[in-house]
Amino acid sequence: MRLEVKNLSFAFSDKPVLKDVNLEASDGEFLGLMGPNGSGKTTLLRCITNFLSGWDGNILVDKKPIGGYTPRALARVFAEVPQISSTDFPFTAHDIVMMGRIPHIGSMLDGETRKDKDIVRKAMERTNTLQFAGRYFSELSGGERQRVIIARALAQQPKILLLDEPTVYLDISGQFEMMDLIRGLNREQHITTVTVLHDINMAARYCDRIALLSDGRLEAVGPPEEVLTPETIQNVYGLDVSVRKDPFTHAVYVMPRAARVPLRRHGTRVHILCGGGTGGPLMKALIENGFSVTAGVLNVLDSDYENAADLRVPVVAEAPFSQIGPEAHDENLRMVEDSEVVIVLPFPVGPGNFKNLEAAKYAIEKGKKVFIVRAAGGVAVDFVDGKAESFINGLASSGAVEVGNLGQVLTAISRIGGRVSG
Amino acid sequence: MLILGGLALLLFISAFVAILVGTLGPIGPGEPERITFSEAIDSIFNDSTYHWVFWNVRIPRVLLAGLVGAALACSGTAMQAIFRNSMADPFVIGVSSGAALGAAIAGFLGLSAVAYIGLGLPPLFAFVTGLLAAFTVYILGSVKGRVYVDTLLLSGVAVAAFLGALVSFSIYLARQQFHQLVFWLLGSLALARWSYVEILTVVVAAGTLIVFLYGRDLDALLLGEETAHNLGANPEPLKKLMLGVSALMAAAAVAFTGVIGFVGLITPHMTRLAIGANHRLLVPAATLSGAIFLIWADTLARTIVSPDELPVGIITALCGGPFFLYLLRRHSMGRES
Repeated sequence: MRLEVKNLSFAFSDKPVLKDVNLEASDGEFLGLMGPNGSGKTTLLRCITNFLSGWDGNILVDKKPIGGYTPRALARVFAEVPQISSTDFPFTAHDIVMMGRIPHIGSMLDGETRKDKDIVRKAMERTNTLQFAGRYFSELSGGERQRVIIARALAQQPKILLLDEPTVYLDISGQFEMMDLIRGLNREQHITTVTVLHDINMAARYCDRIALLSDGRLEAVGPPEEVLTPETIQNVYGLDVSVRKDPFTHAVYVMPRAARVPLRRHGTRVHILCGGGTGGPLMKALIENGFSVTAGVLNVLDSDYENAADLRVPVVAEAPFSQIGPEAHDENLRMVEDSEVVIVLPFPVGPGNFKNLEAAKYAIEKGKKVFIVRAAGGVAVDFVDGKAESFINGLASSGAVEVGNLGQVLTAISRIGGRVSG
Repeated sequence: MLILGGLALLLFISAFVAILVGTLGPIGPGEPERITFSEAIDSIFNDSTYHWVFWNVRIPRVLLAGLVGAALACSGTAMQAIFRNSMADPFVIGVSSGAALGAAIAGFLGLSAVAYIGLGLPPLFAFVTGLLAAFTVYILGSVKGRVYVDTLLLSGVAVAAFLGALVSFSIYLARQQFHQLVFWLLGSLALARWSYVEILTVVVAAGTLIVFLYGRDLDALLLGEETAHNLGANPEPLKKLMLGVSALMAAAAVAFTGVIGFVGLITPHMTRLAIGANHRLLVPAATLSGAIFLIWADTLARTIVSPDELPVGIITALCGGPFFLYLLRRHSMGRES
């Protein structure tokens, strides 16, 4: 069924919680409801189910205002799955699922019929809860309980399923299991599904569309890749993120940008020779400590290339999977010249990027302060038959300082000091 | 169904045996009068020596015990569901302390002399003040027509403490009636009569039926008001109806017999542990269990120090207190694991 929310406003006492929200979920859609804590997500769900009264606006189910439904009729349209359900009272899992039939049992004098029992059994089969039907609800694990509650929602035979952070208390495998289940039900039974989610990546992966609430207003609504942009997330959550694509599902995923902006810029310029992801943590640490950072020749698609792009670190780039060519090497040397400190990370060395080590040698010749971070085992990943290892030893004996870890690098270069600007 | 049938049979047997047990009867202390089993049966069914005693003292007393036990157990079951707390009982919203104050006032005004005309004024007084106290708690516990159970619970505690102090004060003032009032406060079925049985039969039948019919909605309410709403059980009217019916049953029971504690707390709790929390089964089962429990407690109360008798509230508290503590301990152990 189609759900429409029109010009919905709601206030607790005098404090406005929802401000003129317009939203709709089309028949069979899987809609995610997101937003920071206190943005009004749960309140919106509670207005939709009419649990909260006193809102302004219109809420329509298949064009019919929900005010026109009796509580029992409304419970045949909506089923709700709360964040967490608990009771100290000795209800079995089966008792809980049978409660889903309450809005369907015609008269208070009637008992549960054969049909009710069949529906309950099927709901429990589908949610894989039948095997503990006779156990007390209070003795089940968080994930089992949540599945029982989904079974209850199914037994309710709803047209629209509303969920309030259904995965929030589950471990990571439980979260995916739960989302797969909900998404499966949405597709099989064509139940319009509206779910509050906190995990942006979960939402991006499962939702047809995402509605983003901010301070009671609907900030954005649309497919995940349209809504989940760095700009929107910066606006709504105040968090600097980068948005990438999951290589397998092509769903967008969002990760917090690695570095915080430092309070004070340190003038010292540091050039990093890295690759294969070895440079990310150092780039982040240096930027946060106020250094200016550049990075040595990196192939496009190398993970350090992506790290540098996320951190907006100037970088000498080479085409994917290619040897470092003369132009790139020269540019790298220029960056070495422009910096005061050069740091060599334990990147895997092959014929293609051997020139990065030569750049380090050039740095020593130019009188730069050079640090070599040794790999954990003491030996570099070397695809050139020990040539890299002996070259690095050569660097060490001609004035480069060897250090064991990033902390030591930071301590050492912080002592160098430098110009303090802006 | 099997459980309910078994309980009904047990209730019938309990009532029958209890009628035969006592200071006068084939079973019991044999003081002042021991009669044989056949004499007893003969006295019940034929107009013989003890016919009047059985029909106007023993039988109404046993029936009243059953009805009061049923009323308190059913009321307790509903209260525990509304408060979502198995520590709630029929008196949690101030019915007993209100009724006690009413009884004290009636005693103080010397109204007990009128007690033997029909219903009697003290029960009526106690009934009305019991309901008034419950209503006061209800008003204090609701905001803009919405009942908040936490506030309701605390209001109940406060009002009960306040009224309890007034009762203590009236005990202090009314020295002559002191014994009588304390006896009432501890609860007794000694004043049983047919008119009480008749009235309470109507109250208990109507009350338990209503609570039973709303059993499924009470189940839903136990998972929280939002869940109840989302399952189509409208929580506000439900809470009000259940509070009203429970208070009415508790006040009617207390009015006739004084404050009999623990029945309304323990019977629902115990029954729930045995058969689960499903109210369509729990309500009738707890009601029957309450009746059985109070019939036996009263039988003990009137035979244990024969030919004298103990207030039945002492028996229920003596049996109930330790048992309740046992349940509580077991419950908190379960929490740790």
